[in-house]
Amino acid sequence: MMLSFLVKRSLDLLFVLFGVSVLVFLMIRLIPGDAVQIMLGANTEITPEGLAALREKLGLNKPIFVQYWDWLSAALRGDLGQSIWTGRPISEEILQRLPITLELTILSLIIAIGLAIPVGVLTAYWRNSSAEYLIRLFSITGVTLPSFWLGTLLIFLVFKLAPGWQSLGYVPFSQDPWGHVSRLVLPVITLSLPMLAGLSRVLRSSLLDVLNQDYIRTARSKGLSERVVLYKHALRNAMIPLVTVIGIQVGYLFGGAIVVEQVFAIPGMGRLILGAINERNYPLIQGAILLVTTAFVLINLLVDLIYAKLDPRVEYA
Amino acid sequence: MKGRWFSLLITLLLAMGWSFAQTPVRGGTLQIGADASPSGLDPHVATAFASFIVTGQIYEGLTEIDERLRPRPALAESWTVSQDGLTYTFKIRSGVTFHDGKPLTAGDIAFSINRVRDPKTGSPIASRINLIKDVRATSPTQLVVELSQPFAPMLIELASIAVMSEDYVKAGNDMQRRPMGTGPFAFKEWVPDTYILLERHPRYWRQGRPYLDALRYNIVPDAATRQVGLASGTYQFLPNIDPSLAVTLRNTPNVKLITTQDLAYTLIGMNVSRKPFDNPRVREALNYALNRQQIVQAVYFGNGTPAGPLGLRSWASPTSAFPCYNTNPARARELLAQAGYPNGVDFGMIVIGSNKTVVDAAQVVQQQLAQAGFRAKVEVLEQGKFIQEWRNSNFDTFASINGGNADPDGYLFRTFSTGGSTNVFKFSNPTVDRLLNQGRTTVNEEARRPIYARLQVELACQGPIAHLVYGTLFSAARENVQGFKPIPTRSLIYLRDTWLAR
Repeated sequence: MMLSFLVKRSLDLLFVLFGVSVLVFLMIRLIPGDAVQIMLGANTEITPEGLAALREKLGLNKPIFVQYWDWLSAALRGDLGQSIWTGRPISEEILQRLPITLELTILSLIIAIGLAIPVGVLTAYWRNSSAEYLIRLFSITGVTLPSFWLGTLLIFLVFKLAPGWQSLGYVPFSQDPWGHVSRLVLPVITLSLPMLAGLSRVLRSSLLDVLNQDYIRTARSKGLSERVVLYKHALRNAMIPLVTVIGIQVGYLFGGAIVVEQVFAIPGMGRLILGAINERNYPLIQGAILLVTTAFVLINLLVDLIYAKLDPRVEYA
Repeated sequence: MKGRWFSLLITLLLAMGWSFAQTPVRGGTLQIGADASPSGLDPHVATAFASFIVTGQIYEGLTEIDERLRPRPALAESWTVSQDGLTYTFKIRSGVTFHDGKPLTAGDIAFSINRVRDPKTGSPIASRINLIKDVRATSPTQLVVELSQPFAPMLIELASIAVMSEDYVKAGNDMQRRPMGTGPFAFKEWVPDTYILLERHPRYWRQGRPYLDALRYNIVPDAATRQVGLASGTYQFLPNIDPSLAVTLRNTPNVKLITTQDLAYTLIGMNVSRKPFDNPRVREALNYALNRQQIVQAVYFGNGTPAGPLGLRSWASPTSAFPCYNTNPARARELLAQAGYPNGVDFGMIVIGSNKTVVDAAQVVQQQLAQAGFRAKVEVLEQGKFIQEWRNSNFDTFASINGGNADPDGYLFRTFSTGGSTNVFKFSNPTVDRLLNQGRTTVNEEARRPIYARLQVELACQGPIAHLVYGTLFSAARENVQGFKPIPTRSLIYLRDTWLAR
């Protein structure tokens, strides 16, 4: 049962990736302006012949289907091509950036989930108390604040309060461990805060829902301690919607990382993709988007599997 | 009595401090906060500003442009010009080496100029030197350049041609990724979107220069991040910042602003091949509707001057020479009515979105024009799209910022001559064409002056460009950054004289 599910999902995955590759390929070529024009900048004095010569050099003069076929056939052999500007293999560029973004998002995810569970439980229990209103106010603010704004605000705050704090840019851990960690603090807060707010709200409402269910009343009437009722019965069931939301949030997290990396000048995947789009670095955009899509689909698969663990009623078909 | 001694002591201490501050020290890395990542580092091809501030340290030309916008010797030690103005003979400086240790020869320079001229290179600079007929090295230290007609801005244009090593290029090195020249700093490393590192050229021909060990261009896209980075000392130098950022940095402790007048100017371009801007009266009306002083105040926070077609040095005519620079919405309406638009006109205005100053200016202009019956539909475009629409002349009007040139010909000819390489306005005027040709082939500066004065009057009110403002060029630096001088062209050549006080 489980195996056939996995096979089916893997086929889905291939289909999705093919679709995405075609879409990305067409879409980025529909954005006006190409790499050559970006390279020259505004207000430059070039002849149409000069433009054509440059396009030929970058392989942008071929028909789009030929370009797609060249790219696809190479990609199937594991070669994602080379960055237009740096000439380095795309896979190398991505491998250099991916760990940075992964570290950022995973840390934020862990912190957000780790805090969302106690916050969600407490707000469900302290329903209608002033503490709960306070926390709710905080969550609504957290959900609504745009991350570029929050990030900038934090940068200025920290600069005012602790001017010596190195909060911008990126240093590899191997080079300067403390510098690495100190630069991660603000971006991780920026990324995890909205997620924490969102997750704790979901958990609170699903817990309230579950706590009103018959089986909880049954459990309580059996004389089980509140602790057991909460952790063994209520929380486990209340986690199901939370897992779904986490699955979706991981996508948002990546979107947030793009903004956060831009604000804090962190050279992760977000900067890579944004920079590539600005420079019309086609092979790089294609490779990076393909990778992100794969990750996204795999995470969804993982979420589905976790469902089954949490809720035996879920069936694979 | 006591007070006098005290003040004497203070004066002495200050003087000592001053003299210490004046003695350059060697060493250190200058952390630069750059706003954009360069798209390639081949200066013959990648001419966008983000590339230029990096390649300007790696390469040198025969000449260079100084802060008064005059050409002066760089790789050429001296030169002579033949009587007819057609033959330039350059004596090449000896003792210059490339970063790889090879000595520079006249052959390398001939190769570089020819590389720019070669259509296969696709160089946007090629059209600037299309009056060159032949370039040849007559000895390792002598270069002869022959022109097809006298060309006044020759020495200025040569400054923009980076000299590469013939051997290095022919060995197949990718010049977009591994630049190599004779400049004060040598290319070391490029981590995309993160930083570009240049290191001191140890055999640089200018004695004792550069003072710095390295330049690190940190790529920091967010303006607020650059601001805090400079204030906290993460970055020590922000070249060519927006006026609004300059205003916020003005009172930051340990930060100083370095200013000069900018050659770049904001402008409204009009498409002469489209209605209603095909009518010179409409273009004149638009000029009457503008209030340039107001733009200086609102967009440049007072740091700028209303722009005529030429803004700098001895070439600029006073704006009082242009009647349409007196804001007069009533006159604008009248002219519009005469042109057949008594009810005003609707038109589009595309704006380059990558430059905050331009976006701000476009909004102010939209308001001003509305009072005279010009109803502009402003559309802010991403840079790539803007450049494409601009190049294809697909606009009614546009708002943008132009880099400007040290010589009037460098800007006016390509912009306003019939079929000029940046004449996206489709403007064509026989008088203007004649004056432009006269201006570039008249070598004597005194004789050129009246020609350009005449041209400016022709262009100011009815030309396809309404020039708005020449801004102030701001760079910001930490207090301890010494020796840097700004140049209106935005070039950073004086980083070679820059040093870090301890």
